[in-house]
Amino acid sequence: MSTDNKLLVVKDLATVFSTAGGPLAAVGGVSFDLEQNETLGIVGESGSGKTVLSRTIMGLQPRSNVTVSGSAVLNGFEVVGASEKAKRQIWGTDVAMVFQDPMTSLNPVMRIGKQIDESLRVRQGMSRSAAKARAIELLELVGIPSPTQRYNAYPGQLSGGMRQRVVIAIALAGSPKLLMADEPTTGLDVTIQAQILNLLDELKDRLKMSVILVTHDLGVVATRTSRIIVMYAGRIVEMGSTRDVFQDHRMPYTRALLESSPKVANPSHTRLVAIPGRPPNLLKLSDGCSFAPRCAYATDRCRQERPELEPAGPAGHFFACWNPLPTTRGASPS
Amino acid sequence: MSELLEEASLVERPEKNKPLGILFWICVGWVALNVIGAIFANVLPLQNPLFEDFSAVNVGPGLHHLFGTDDLGRDIFARVVYGSRVSIAVGVGAMLIGFGIGAPLGMLAAYRRGRFDMVLTTVMYVLLAFPAIIATIAVLSFWAPRALAKIILVIGLASVPLVYRVIRTATMSIATKDYIIAAKVQGATDRRILVKELLPNIAPIGVSFLLIGIATVITLEGALAFLGLSVNPPTPSWGNMINEARTVLAENPWLVIFPSLALCLFLLCLNFIGDRLRSHFDVTEVKL
Repeated sequence: MSTDNKLLVVKDLATVFSTAGGPLAAVGGVSFDLEQNETLGIVGESGSGKTVLSRTIMGLQPRSNVTVSGSAVLNGFEVVGASEKAKRQIWGTDVAMVFQDPMTSLNPVMRIGKQIDESLRVRQGMSRSAAKARAIELLELVGIPSPTQRYNAYPGQLSGGMRQRVVIAIALAGSPKLLMADEPTTGLDVTIQAQILNLLDELKDRLKMSVILVTHDLGVVATRTSRIIVMYAGRIVEMGSTRDVFQDHRMPYTRALLESSPKVANPSHTRLVAIPGRPPNLLKLSDGCSFAPRCAYATDRCRQERPELEPAGPAGHFFACWNPLPTTRGASPS
Repeated sequence: MSELLEEASLVERPEKNKPLGILFWICVGWVALNVIGAIFANVLPLQNPLFEDFSAVNVGPGLHHLFGTDDLGRDIFARVVYGSRVSIAVGVGAMLIGFGIGAPLGMLAAYRRGRFDMVLTTVMYVLLAFPAIIATIAVLSFWAPRALAKIILVIGLASVPLVYRVIRTATMSIATKDYIIAAKVQGATDRRILVKELLPNIAPIGVSFLLIGIATVITLEGALAFLGLSVNPPTPSWGNMINEARTVLAENPWLVIFPSLALCLFLLCLNFIGDRLRSHFDVTEVKL
C-alpha cells in the first residue's frame, strides 16, 4: 500500500509523561493510518490513552514533562517535534477538533458568531462582512435555526446540543481535512447524541473530510465508522473494519468490551456483564500483555511476553493476543 | 428537521440585561462629582483652602462656610474638595501603576506556566510576605522631599504583587478551559488568545478589583497622611485633614466628620459600582 493518498500515517507513536512515580507511557507505540474521507473509531476504557493519542496526533501536549516519539504525518506534515508556530499552520485548516463538553469549549463572554468569525478573519483574511456571512452559513450548515439571530447569542443562551453544533461550526470554519472528535456526545442527552452523530456523519460526506471518533461508547461507533481501533493501556489491541471488530473479534478484551454494553435484545433485568478488575496502573505495566490480569484466557506466556499486532486474515484486521478467540466469521451477531 | 424546531423552542431569546438600578447611578454620580470637583477645584467658586481667616475660627457649618472652618479659620468645604485631589490622584495613579505592571505579568505567567511562572510567582510571593504598609512607610520616610508623584509610585509598586496574584489566579482558572485549547487549535496565536480570549474573561474580576483597589489605596493614603507621611501640610488631603482635626475632636467635631464622610461615601460608592458591574457583565450567569 502506498502512503500517498493517506491523510494520516501514525508510526510507533508514543507519549510518555515523566511523573514522580517514573515514566508513564500513556500512549505506548501506536501505528495506524487513515484514508481520505474515512471515519475511524477509537474505543477503549477510561485511561486507555485514547484522548492522549488524539491530542498527540493534533500536536497538543502540555509544555513540559512529556516526551513524544515516533511519527505522525498529517497530510504530509510531521506533527511530532514540530514547533507551535509550524503547527499553527495545520491547526484549523488541516485538522480541527470537537470537544467533549460543549459547556466549557465555548468562550462564555464572546458571542458565538464572533467565535466562528475569529478564525475566518485571522486565518483566511476575510473581511468583516464576508466572515459574518460565512459564519451564518456555517451555523445553518450545522442545523442551527434562525442563524442570523443566533449569530449574536452568547453560549449561555443556548442548550447543550446547540452549543455542540456551534463547536462543530467553529471546527468547520477552516474547512479541515480531518475532524478530531473526542467524545463529542458524552456531555449530551441521549436524544441529542444521535442528532450530533448524524450531523457529523452527514458533514463528513458533504465536506469530504475524515473523522476520528474517540469514544468509550461502542454504540456510537457501531454504525458510523468504517474502521475501529480498540485501545488498552496505551496500545492498540485490535484494529479492523467495524464489521470485523464487532462480529469477528479475536482479542478477548474486545469481546469483554462488547459484552459489557447493554443490548436491547436482552430480556429485562439481565445482569450487565462487567470486566473484572480495573484498568492497569500505567506505571506498573508488566512485560506481558497488559490485559492478562483481567483476562479469562490468560496463560503464563501472556504474563511474560507481550503479543504484537498480527494480521487476522481479512485485510486490515489485526489483533494482539497469544490466545485469540476462534474466528466466528459468518456467524450472526449477538 | 422537526427535532431541530423543537430544540429551537428551548433556546432562550437573547434578552436585554436587567437595568443597573438607581442606586448604581447615584453612586456613579457621586464618584463623578468628586472627580470633577477634584479636577476643577481651582476654577470652581471655592474659597482659598489655605487662606487663614482668624476672624472666623472654629465656626460651625453655616451659609458663609458650608462645612464651617477649622482652628486656623480655613474653609473646610474648600479643603475637602481640594483634599479629594490628593486622595483620588493617589488612588487612581497607584492602581494604574499596579495594574500596568501586575496584570500583564500575571496573565503571562498563568498562560505560559513553566519556569517563567515559577520564578516570577516566587518573587511576588516573597514580596507579598512583606507587609506593604510597612514597606511604603519605610521608603517614604527616607525618600525626601515628599511629593505626590513619589507617594503614587511607591504605593503603586507595593500593589504590584497583590494585583499579580489576583490576575494570575483568575487567568489560571480560565487558561485551562477547553475553549482556550479550542482557540489554539483553530490556529490563534498566543497574543490573540491572551487579548481576545483571556482578557475579556478576567476583565470583570479585574475591574472590580481595580475599583476596590482604588478604595484601599485611598484608605492607605489616609493612613500615611495620618502618620504625616503623605503630602506636606498645609496642602489638604482627606487623610491629613482627619489627622489634624483629631487633636480638636472635642471642641470642633465637624473638622473630623466632613472629611471622614467624604472619604467613606467615596469608598462605599466605588465598592458598590465595582460589585454591580461585575454581576452586570457576567454573561455566564444564565438569566432564566
